[in-house]
Amino acid sequence: MTKTVLITGASRGVGLEFSRQYAADGWRVHACCRDPQGAAALSEALAGHDGVVHALDVAERQSIDGLKDELGGEALDVLINNAGVSGGGHQTFGDMDYDAWADTMRVNAFGPCRVSEVLVDNVAVGNAGTIVNISSQMASLTECDEGDEFIYRSSKTALNMVSVNLAHDLGPRGITVLAFHPGWVRTDMGGPEAPITAQESVTALRASIAATSHADNGRFLNYDGTPLLW
Amino acid sequence: MPTMLVTGANRGIGFEFVRQYAAEGWTVHAGVRNPAANSALRALGLERLSIHQLDVDNHDQIKALAAGLEGQPIDLLINNAGLWAGDDEKYGRFSDDQWMTQFKTHVFGTMAMCEAFVDNVGASDKKLMVNISSGNGSLGLAVGIGDYPYDTTKAALNMVGWGLAVRLKDRGITVTSMTPGNVATDMSGPGADLTPEESIAGMRRVIKGLDMSHSGAFMRYNGDIAPW
Repeated sequence: MTKTVLITGASRGVGLEFSRQYAADGWRVHACCRDPQGAAALSEALAGHDGVVHALDVAERQSIDGLKDELGGEALDVLINNAGVSGGGHQTFGDMDYDAWADTMRVNAFGPCRVSEVLVDNVAVGNAGTIVNISSQMASLTECDEGDEFIYRSSKTALNMVSVNLAHDLGPRGITVLAFHPGWVRTDMGGPEAPITAQESVTALRASIAATSHADNGRFLNYDGTPLLW
Repeated sequence: MPTMLVTGANRGIGFEFVRQYAAEGWTVHAGVRNPAANSALRALGLERLSIHQLDVDNHDQIKALAAGLEGQPIDLLINNAGLWAGDDEKYGRFSDDQWMTQFKTHVFGTMAMCEAFVDNVGASDKKLMVNISSGNGSLGLAVGIGDYPYDTTKAALNMVGWGLAVRLKDRGITVTSMTPGNVATDMSGPGADLTPEESIAGMRRVIKGLDMSHSGAFMRYNGDIAPW
């Protein structure tokens, strides 16, 4: 039976690669991005496959509700909350951009929470599915050893707490909620010095997601499936 | 005697910090949103207590207070101002506005206070910054799971505290996140198991023993290390 995945932030980077690989593997793909008209690479990746592109701004509740209308009651096996932003160029002590901080929270923490809430019935229907929140090792308090990038780090720590809470609240419906570190990936956000490609990251992430079960609900995992510390 | 500045001082934990440090003879700067309404603080009749208008959501007020206290060493900055909405924080029940309000107070307000008063703290003897976090902010503890705005903002606050500890190490400033325990205040309600007197007495003992080796730590009111 065909499996279905929904991916946010699908126009580039890790989200684009998720869309490409799941589509090529025969999955039905709902690929969401803010500007479908400008997402040529995504259209190309889905060409000839069972893929639908949706307009979605995860920071806007109306936009998420619109996506829900488009999906109707269709079952999702995997929901990947991948859309995220870096927080901008002013996030060091003494040079904090508080407006950018608020905007980043809306995308990186509120977005995954609201998308999960609005689409929860799609994930719960049939064989209850998995919600994957793309977090970062930079959210780990245990691994933290730098005093910079306050906006990005705190938004992803907040996202990890969203994952813990969703795991608690949606677990009883059979849904599995996972937080994943995608690795330091050579994307627009990760930069050219990153050690792994989006292809390598997503190949490993897909294998790790497939290998998880409901027993993993609420865990924070590296892209290779090994556990990470909070 | 040392000097301290605490936010959210009109009631609960903040009020009790003021009372106990003032009783010990410290000079106390109490930040409150509405000074006119603070009869309880004024009723303490304390000579070394200054009450300041301070809404930590209002960064202009923070800067104005910092300008007013410029050059005065502050040994201990306690970022305490906070809020919790009870059952309205549960799944499906909280609004984005409510959530953002808590980010502004718990996270942005704390950072803005630390930015504004870092020179005062750096010029003091003790050089301490204490952020009042919560067991709810622990990702590893099963405490208070399901209060989305409160839990996420306190977890984010812990990350900010960690980053501040790293960033301010060179200046000799100790930054510690603390959980006050489950304290019976207006905010937490009557189901709590600690009085404000007990919690603050415990935290004062812990704060008295803080040094750079505790910078970046997450500690309970009784001195135990709390898990992230």
